[in-house]
Amino acid sequence: MRYVGQRFVQLVIVVIAVTFTVSLALSAMPNAKERVILYRGAGLTNQAEKDKLLDSLHLNDSPPAQYGYFVKDLVTFNWGTTNNNESVKTSIWDGLQISIRLMFYGQLFALGLAIPVAIGAAYRNGGLFDRLSTTISFGFLSAPTYIIAPVAILLFSVHWKFFPSLSKNVSFFDDPWLHFKNFIMPTVALALPVAAGYMRLLRADMVNTLQSDFITTARAKGVSTNRILFGHALRPSMFSLLTSAAINVGTLVGGSLIVETAFGLNGLGRKTVLGIFSSDFRLVQVTVAILALVYVFFTFLVDIAYGWLDPRVRAARTLS
Amino acid sequence: MTFVTDSTIEPSEMIEPVATAARPRAKFRKRGVVTKWLAIIWLALLTFTAIGANWVPWVNHDCSQFGDKAATECSTHLIGSPFLLEKPPAWATFADAKGITIPGAPERTGWFGTDSNGRDIFARSMFGARVSLTIGASSIIFGLIIGGGLGLLAGYKGGRIDRFIEALMNIILAFPALLLVVFIVGFFGSSGADQATNRSIQPIILALVVLSIPPLQKLVRANTIVYAQREFVTAARSIGASSSRIVLREILPNVVPAMLTFALVGVAIVIVAEGALAYLGLSVNAPSPTWGNLILDGQSKLENSWWISLMPAATMFVTILSINLLGDVLAEKFRIREAIG
Repeated sequence: MRYVGQRFVQLVIVVIAVTFTVSLALSAMPNAKERVILYRGAGLTNQAEKDKLLDSLHLNDSPPAQYGYFVKDLVTFNWGTTNNNESVKTSIWDGLQISIRLMFYGQLFALGLAIPVAIGAAYRNGGLFDRLSTTISFGFLSAPTYIIAPVAILLFSVHWKFFPSLSKNVSFFDDPWLHFKNFIMPTVALALPVAAGYMRLLRADMVNTLQSDFITTARAKGVSTNRILFGHALRPSMFSLLTSAAINVGTLVGGSLIVETAFGLNGLGRKTVLGIFSSDFRLVQVTVAILALVYVFFTFLVDIAYGWLDPRVRAARTLS
Repeated sequence: MTFVTDSTIEPSEMIEPVATAARPRAKFRKRGVVTKWLAIIWLALLTFTAIGANWVPWVNHDCSQFGDKAATECSTHLIGSPFLLEKPPAWATFADAKGITIPGAPERTGWFGTDSNGRDIFARSMFGARVSLTIGASSIIFGLIIGGGLGLLAGYKGGRIDRFIEALMNIILAFPALLLVVFIVGFFGSSGADQATNRSIQPIILALVVLSIPPLQKLVRANTIVYAQREFVTAARSIGASSSRIVLREILPNVVPAMLTFALVGVAIVIVAEGALAYLGLSVNAPSPTWGNLILDGQSKLENSWWISLMPAATMFVTILSINLLGDVLAEKFRIREAIG
């Protein structure tokens, strides 16, 4: 319990610091007010109206007061409007749906690809399949999403015309086949580098596990290969893979902005980037704060789960 | 131990377990040597051309050598020729120029072809390498100095200082990495009220330095703790060496291999991050291209002219692959486990 308490205090400190940074970034910026007037108050000419606009965004207050207003608005879900007078709440909600969908499909694809390949590679460590899969995964680790995306578009949209090069947000329930066609390429482009990382993690741990005494014992008892691999060796080897996958949940929701840009999906990441371009501060601040909080929260959960799964971690951390 | 490793092989193969286990590994190593040298050669060539891009003849042609035809037939990284719009690379015999063709213009030209302004993509990629490598190297160097310093401090002093620095690093790590960089560059990058004009290299480096500090700090801190408990440090302290001397002369030299290995891989990560920024339209502005810019430029023309986007992408891919390969070799040599995922 003491360990959880310590982690919780850390969580609170980080949350305060993150919201503080996001809020103060605006007042630290030299020309924030001019930018806001330029993009938001295009028709305003007299000073009184401009001041009214700045006041409504609390831009004329002192930084600590700005922080207070920001936290208050964040907690009460009073997130204001974007430059187009759209509610920030609906804007974020729309983007979040796409980003979460991408994240979910990407994780599913990455894990589904990485686990069998890693098991196969670890099973014959140093064999042909191992060398092949390790080399290929190394290649994908070095291929950023924005390199995979054009290649995928060139092959599957331009050359073979299987999938559209710009994805539309088609709901699964409206048309499952169209949904699949629109989301398969972003998913794969997002998931391949992630899958390569997962595969390397699991393969390394699995090779270690297969050297343990209990595996030799199981072999000696005559347990079948499949049972050893899936029943005995997989579970103790999944530790770092699951940690990495859990942390990636937070990272991928915000990190899919490249894929969203490449395939023209209006997810959360793309909205943030467009918001930065058009100096849409409210949208950007709230989005970054929320994404950071989600990430911090997931890391916290992983840490707790880590200690809970493996008592050694808990003990070691409380001592230090 | 090799016997246990291959516990899954058939009994008939188990007669000579050492031989069966050793053979593929030896092959593996031999191939590793070849790829290692290929990677080194590629990186050396690239660095050489990037530094000398202005003077090296195969990158920056001197247009005066063409005489009066210079205006139409010579294309460099900045000067495009209307004669050579969207020409495929010379070796790509399967590709056709689908754009406008002027009679008398060559069908294919250059190593990487030309873009829609008639500029030489190979030259642009090499000038792009200059910007990308500069950003990668300088970000990591600053990251090493700051992150390494903080790591040494935290690892050696421990206690309250250690906890304070750790909290600071956790705050930076709490932001999604790419969004943090976009946030910094987008908010502080452009100086005027209008967006995205004249973005210089400094805010980008600043953002990437911030990104690279926490992992380096964590790595150096972990290594420092290990070495701070070793006998030679105790010995140095017992003969009255000062703290700064112990840190700089006893601990630092032992931590350096791990730092440099990680920094090498860090350069690749930073180059990828810079490419991502450029891809989002947030990196250095024209006329200086970066790899991300070049890939983005060509993406709208993928249908007709794939080489505009894919040749810089290939250059970037090979470079990152080489850096990662070398990083792997070094990590194995110094037995360093990856510190971050």
